[in-house]
Amino acid sequence: MKEYGLLYWVAVGVIALLVASPFLSRVLVYPRTEFFTELWILDADHRAENYPFNVTRNQSYTIYLSVGNRLGYCAYYLVQVKFRNQTQTAPTSFGPIESRLPSGLPSLFNMTVFVADEQVLEIPITFSFNYTWDEQFSKVKLSSLRLNGVELNMSNCILSWDADEKAFRGFLFFELWLYNSSVNSFNYHGRFVGLWFNMTVTV
Amino acid sequence: MGLRFRFCLVFLFVLVVSVVGVSLPCFGVGSSDAFSAISDADGRVVVCYRAVADAERAGANVSSLLEVLNEASWLLSRAKLAYSQGDFDSAVVYANECRFMLDGFVDEADGLRRSAEAAAHWDFMVNFVGSAVGAICVVVCGYALWVFLKRREK
Repeated sequence: MKEYGLLYWVAVGVIALLVASPFLSRVLVYPRTEFFTELWILDADHRAENYPFNVTRNQSYTIYLSVGNRLGYCAYYLVQVKFRNQTQTAPTSFGPIESRLPSGLPSLFNMTVFVADEQVLEIPITFSFNYTWDEQFSKVKLSSLRLNGVELNMSNCILSWDADEKAFRGFLFFELWLYNSSVNSFNYHGRFVGLWFNMTVTV
Repeated sequence: MGLRFRFCLVFLFVLVVSVVGVSLPCFGVGSSDAFSAISDADGRVVVCYRAVADAERAGANVSSLLEVLNEASWLLSRAKLAYSQGDFDSAVVYANECRFMLDGFVDEADGLRRSAEAAAHWDFMVNFVGSAVGAICVVVCGYALWVFLKRREK
């Protein structure tokens, strides 16, 4: 009996571990410690390569805006669509993400989206700009942005000629806000993505 | 002549007042109606979101519910945009569409939550309690068998 003792107890231990494996798989899992949101833009081919830059008046372009939720709960987000020229205020990009500030510009359009925990929501964005070129003052005056079939007024936006880049440059960006159920309102979530465009004009 | 002119003037005034009074409610809604419709829809979206969040916390698969909620919230976004542009008719239409889309949504989410809670309870009893108790039983039975075999050997 003694010579089989070790073998016997090893067999008992292995069987006990097998039976306890569902219990252990729950107890020994390392808890999630990082909770955050991902935000990114892809081009029309779902790649980060051929983003539109030189845009033509009333020509439609497609990009994909994605929101990845790693917050540990189903999140209610607000995406604010904004547009700025080179002199207008941008959202802050440096420092701790909690203390970053949104752009002071008014939102052109607000989209609210819901994303389950550990899920990614992809929003196709099809847009076109309508603008006129003031040749005399070398300025581009934007009149509207058509975004996913919705006409947005941009009549206050003027782009000046950028001599360094040799372009009429404007920045379309998407700020992410997160619903805070305790105060029943949205707080800036410290994240934004956007694309610079050159509004091409025909001479 | 003067009397006839005054009569015509009063008649015209009464006609204009009555026509405007009757036709205003038919032709459009005011900003307060639109604001109220949007507030209702907004409140309903928040209530539905909380129901979905509770269902997800209980372990339910809420992807189909979120699709509906995202469609409804898109309509609400359109309603708010229409309101900001002064298009109150469209604002009310979009807000009402949003509300109709969410009819019965909370009940569905609560149903999913209850199912998930029942499944989670069963899962806990089998995979957590059952597994731990089973492992202890294996060790105790192994020891009992070991003692029995040793006594039998003697």
